[in-house]
Amino acid sequence: MRALEGWTVGMLDGWRVGMVLLFLSNLPTFQLSAQDSSRISEAQTVLAQLVESYGVSGMEAPVRATVQRLLPSWVRTETDTAGNLWVRTGGGQGDGPVVIVAHLDEIGFRVDTINADGTLGLRNRGGFILSLFEGKPALIHADRADIPGIFLPRDTGLTRRTPPPLRVSVGATSRAGAESLGVKLGQTITMPKQYVRLAGTRATGRSFDDRMGCAALILALRRLDRTKLKHPVVFLFSTREEIGLEGAEAAARQLGTATHRVHAIDTFVSADSPLELQNFAVARLGQGAVARALDNSSITPPAYVDSLAELARARGIALQIGTTNGGNDGSTFVPYGVVDVPLGWPLRYSHSPVEIVDLKDLVSLADLVRAVAEDW
Amino acid sequence: MMMEQAVKRQLRRSRDNGGGRAVAVDRRICFLTVSTAAFAVLTASLSAQTLDSLAIRFSGMTAITGYEQAVTDSLLSLLPGSTRDRLGNVTLTLGRGTPRRLVYCALDEVGYVIGNITDDGYLLLRRVGGGQRLSPLFDQQIEGQRVTLFGRKGAVPGVVAVRSTHLTRGRPAREEPPFTVDNAYVDVGASSRDEVLALGISILTPVSLTKRPHRYGDRLLAAPNAGRRAACAALASAALSRPRVRGSVVVAFTVQSLYADTAGLRTVLSTQGPFAGARPVTVPSKFAETTVETVALKDVEALVADVMRWIGGGQ
Repeated sequence: MRALEGWTVGMLDGWRVGMVLLFLSNLPTFQLSAQDSSRISEAQTVLAQLVESYGVSGMEAPVRATVQRLLPSWVRTETDTAGNLWVRTGGGQGDGPVVIVAHLDEIGFRVDTINADGTLGLRNRGGFILSLFEGKPALIHADRADIPGIFLPRDTGLTRRTPPPLRVSVGATSRAGAESLGVKLGQTITMPKQYVRLAGTRATGRSFDDRMGCAALILALRRLDRTKLKHPVVFLFSTREEIGLEGAEAAARQLGTATHRVHAIDTFVSADSPLELQNFAVARLGQGAVARALDNSSITPPAYVDSLAELARARGIALQIGTTNGGNDGSTFVPYGVVDVPLGWPLRYSHSPVEIVDLKDLVSLADLVRAVAEDW
Repeated sequence: MMMEQAVKRQLRRSRDNGGGRAVAVDRRICFLTVSTAAFAVLTASLSAQTLDSLAIRFSGMTAITGYEQAVTDSLLSLLPGSTRDRLGNVTLTLGRGTPRRLVYCALDEVGYVIGNITDDGYLLLRRVGGGQRLSPLFDQQIEGQRVTLFGRKGAVPGVVAVRSTHLTRGRPAREEPPFTVDNAYVDVGASSRDEVLALGISILTPVSLTKRPHRYGDRLLAAPNAGRRAACAALASAALSRPRVRGSVVVAFTVQSLYADTAGLRTVLSTQGPFAGARPVTVPSKFAETTVETVALKDVEALVADVMRWIGGGQ
């Protein structure tokens, strides 16, 4: 979701690592709890693979490939010139499509300059708190293998929270040295990330925004009853959301006024946290999907919110209704006279390396996506 | 080179003892011995790689000052004949007679323990170690990052809460002071105090940034406290190689260097001294006190050789 305003010991082969591992046990990256229902474990399996794929805005190919791998076998996909992945279902009724859109991209950086001292100057892709990346491991995403580096800690003296513009070191001391390691302008940079299961049905990682949305679409498609569709439905996996809803905008332009309705499936940034003001955005984790009825980019007509609540009740799906900050892909369809009914799930610590979700909310959201495709 | 010699000696020793001693002492050592020996046949450049692995492994461990037991347990397993004193220092005596000398590294690090648990399942922290000279940005390193809680039922993953970017509404202001431990809320996914207690977490449970040693560039290693850990890895490698010893040398991995005026080292001095000479083992590092404190593994390799020379009586 757009904000308006990361272990590379992999160089060691398994045998040597195994040898030293004898001295200490490692935490598993994630584990299935013995109590997990089949729905929760399926949701986790899909989500973990999406979260552990990297795709900064404009470089979404690895995430797109993961999505394609996880879709049911009957699905035929198309990729447009903007990089969006389309899944068209229930065509031929002569009606405009319902568009259900989740974005593939995540926040990060782009290599903007390779300095004479071998360090890399960065450009932000999306909005986030810069200090969370300062002095942390970095990965430069290259064609073949990722190049490891570090986000340099600030030099000295500056004792305020916000660092000066960040630079990355790949250990080189000259421009030629950095280039010889494979660094090129335009490559993207992130922190290494892992999906990690927490207590109960909670999990942490980076880029749940919007891999949860992608997972919900995939899980809904796996259960979709195509004979029940009232309208053609386009499941759209969009690009470059975090830098200005660009992929969705291209799709909206292509479909225009023919679109029957749009659902952005994206983060409900939640104030369910001890650090947030409680005047709005308070959707509790674990209590189900959330209708994001009012944000900074779109407003769902109240009659649609009521009708959605009725649909969720009829199908026994947990639904919360609320308002939060941020913009959503569906808003790019609104100028064509299309109603946007964004749906999300409560997310703690958005755009940080440690976003937290509840897997129960993903199951609820997948059921809701299926419901709006089949019955609404 | 060092590890292979140690392995051969261990193999010899276990043969001399009917082949059963190493297994009886510690199955893990035996496995290390056998697998390392087999590997040595395959790879000529083992020693540098094994040392790198050990430095990486040590950098992945947590030894909050006063709460070093998991690391000292590992050292006791790694170093046959080593013992642990009441404070937790691990020592091993090489050679015999005089002069009696000491070579040591400090194991411990600044960290946190659970100070309080809220009704809704968040954990609050107090820092252990540090004091006046600690960087004012030290605590900020844990904000919005993964932490590991070393509870009674094993390690528990958690995160330190951070404000959501979308809800900051213009905050943080450019000149806002750094994040401090006073604002750290640890979230383990629990919703109540009882859920937290059921995970084996309580007041005083040690908490640290989740360690993810990270190699980059030309044999550079980035990790919290990488300098201290790589130095201890070098000392362990030197000791494992059973080098030629002039007189006797006490090899010490000390605890509580950050408390009570280097309590661990002073304990070794007062219980095992006097020593005719003492050498701290340190390795240069960049970006000290950060998550990406960096050492050059080439320097660590050179350090091992230098420590072995010192043990043998060289300068």
